[in-house]
Amino acid sequence: MKRKNQAFSHDRSFWMFVLPSLLLFGVFFLLPLGMSIWFSFTNYDGWKTMDFMGIKNYVDILTSGDFYKTLSRTMVYTACNLPFKVAIPLLLAALVTSQSLKGTTLVRTLVYIPVLFSALVAGITINWMFGQEYGLVNFLLQKIGADPLQWSLNPVLATVVISVASNWISAGYYMLLYVGGINNISRELYEAASVDGAKKVQSFFRITLPLLMPTTFIVLLLSTVNLLKEYALIQGISLGGPGSSTTYVVQYIFDQGFNQSRYGYASAAGILISILFIVIAVVQFKATKGGGEV
Amino acid sequence: MKKMFRKTMAGVMAAALAVGSLSACGGASKPGNGGAPAGGQDASGNAGNENAGPITGQTLQVMISEEPGEGDALGSALKKWSEETGNEIKQIIISHDDMLSKFPSMAKNNDLPDLVATTRLHQLYPEEFVDMDTVLDLSQFNGSALKIVGKSYTSDTITGIPDQYTTTCMFYNQDAFAAAGIDAPTIDKPWTWDELYENAKTLQEKGGVKYGFAADVSRARYDILMYAGGGSLVQQDGDTFKVAVNSPENIQTLERFVQANNEVMPKAIWAGGTTDNPVEYFKNGDAAILLSGSWNYNTFTTEVSKFTFGVMPTPKGSAGQSAIIGGEALAIPVNGKNPELAKQFVAWLFEKGQYEEFLQIRKEPSVMNGITYTPDTDKAKEDFAIIQNEAGYVTDTFMVDESSSWRTYKDNEYRDALKRAVAGELSAKDALDGFAKALAESSGWDMAY
Repeated sequence: MKRKNQAFSHDRSFWMFVLPSLLLFGVFFLLPLGMSIWFSFTNYDGWKTMDFMGIKNYVDILTSGDFYKTLSRTMVYTACNLPFKVAIPLLLAALVTSQSLKGTTLVRTLVYIPVLFSALVAGITINWMFGQEYGLVNFLLQKIGADPLQWSLNPVLATVVISVASNWISAGYYMLLYVGGINNISRELYEAASVDGAKKVQSFFRITLPLLMPTTFIVLLLSTVNLLKEYALIQGISLGGPGSSTTYVVQYIFDQGFNQSRYGYASAAGILISILFIVIAVVQFKATKGGGEV
Repeated sequence: MKKMFRKTMAGVMAAALAVGSLSACGGASKPGNGGAPAGGQDASGNAGNENAGPITGQTLQVMISEEPGEGDALGSALKKWSEETGNEIKQIIISHDDMLSKFPSMAKNNDLPDLVATTRLHQLYPEEFVDMDTVLDLSQFNGSALKIVGKSYTSDTITGIPDQYTTTCMFYNQDAFAAAGIDAPTIDKPWTWDELYENAKTLQEKGGVKYGFAADVSRARYDILMYAGGGSLVQQDGDTFKVAVNSPENIQTLERFVQANNEVMPKAIWAGGTTDNPVEYFKNGDAAILLSGSWNYNTFTTEVSKFTFGVMPTPKGSAGQSAIIGGEALAIPVNGKNPELAKQFVAWLFEKGQYEEFLQIRKEPSVMNGITYTPDTDKAKEDFAIIQNEAGYVTDTFMVDESSSWRTYKDNEYRDALKRAVAGELSAKDALDGFAKALAESSGWDMAY
């Protein structure tokens, strides 16, 4: 009770500083959240119909085979990509912080540039490159005498293309996080290890990696959330196809809401998915102890 | 303090009243501000404003589905009207599919355009659009065109005037046919669908094309196969309907279509793995036969340069030939900023001389009685004869489906079900059963199968 009181016992200047952010948070997060919760109990069609339906939307979702298929597809996509989301930026960071490599600034810049692209633009670019008929990659494959690959028809290949694109546009950002982490590790530790006869690989696994655990936790958490809610990139690359093989939960929610005008159903799906994502994040946090312990 | 507040409020209200009165005076002399009724009709039978001259110096916001290109009839008409009347045109380009989600948002935000060129918004939301009977003399229009393209799904009100009246039709690459030694079908001797698939294989082997056959990703294109195969989406059941989309005939048609996608069609398009447009495949010479619509004819005359193209009659199925007629209508949102200006444009467009000019650019069947498109070359005359003949293949089953207004319940979901079948994710039966169930739940109709 005392702690609760303390939380609100700030002076006016505190609230004046907090107010703008609080206002934005309220208008752009709390209000839509509240509306979404309300819509989830209605048959709102986005315009003219809004009758209270109780928990019907939730029951419909939890008994929908398509929802579970989409959800499991999303989980598999996330689980398969997560190791790459961590390993590639870590290796890139180790590379660009290496004393023996020249041109590291250029490499950092080149790796970071895709982060600046809009996910949709990156998706459309990748779509153009991997287009089945008129795509650059198939054109090059045919030039060297190979058969063109069915990027747009094979669900596995389509997923691989999306995964590559996802890693490409995010690697630079996570690399920077790792670079910051590596630069914070004391040089003395490496010197001491070197004096004790440790090789560079041993130093990496025994010093760098353990001391980067807090950073790894952040990368893991952000990557998980971003993979679970991958949307714009997929819209640009495959629109969720072929069939529905690259349709993940956010596409599913978008389709139900905006294409099928089932805003109530989509809101309920959004609420359930948000709860699930929160649970996943909490489990991750607990499992890694927030990256605080090695 | 209170006294001062009261005085200020009184001043504000007085000013508001004064401004209101001035506006009302100004509005009375300006039909664009709603000061005078649209009333009356001019010599051509079109509604006009008896009390005021044409509106000038304003901006007409028009929502269209694509960037106007070379030879675009509506774009040309808007430009000409703008020059004649001194009004500006502001175009908002949103694809027909996206209009379905954007239009409600625009309506909620009171940000509707003055005029919409749409394939179905006016039919889905008739209460949002001006009754065209108050704008034009509807007796001068083709009744079928008005019924299919202009009429509300839920009443007899005409909420849009067709500016485009089209039919599904098939284009073919004459050079590829010649190379493969295939004679094109004729009106008197059409192919069957099986013959089309067989010839498509030959075209792939000998015609120098990658794909024998391609079709627009549209349920309206696919449905001509369904009707030709004796199927339909619904069946009349007294005063109501039964969902029949998963009939054995339809399952068989879809299975054959899936097979065709695996053998002679660019499968990725119908499987939903690419956004490639099959029309481009045809224009590039990669597809020998294209199932699309008559609206492409005009574009092809200017953009197909690698080969000679022709138009062929639709093949026969077990129930005969079939075609779907449809089009795009000009509709005026009731709550647009300037509906009077939109009415003025629509009335102008459908004046006899103006519409004749419009139709010559469109190169399509006319929606106005007594006015026809006259092709200017022998080849165009031959092609146009085939296109006009297609309209005769519209089946009774299509008319029953249209009268059910099934699209008010489910629409794009049907195409998605077909895509999943083509992609191999679902069998033809499961895809159609799933859609039939969803349509039945949404419409409240019983299932026939």
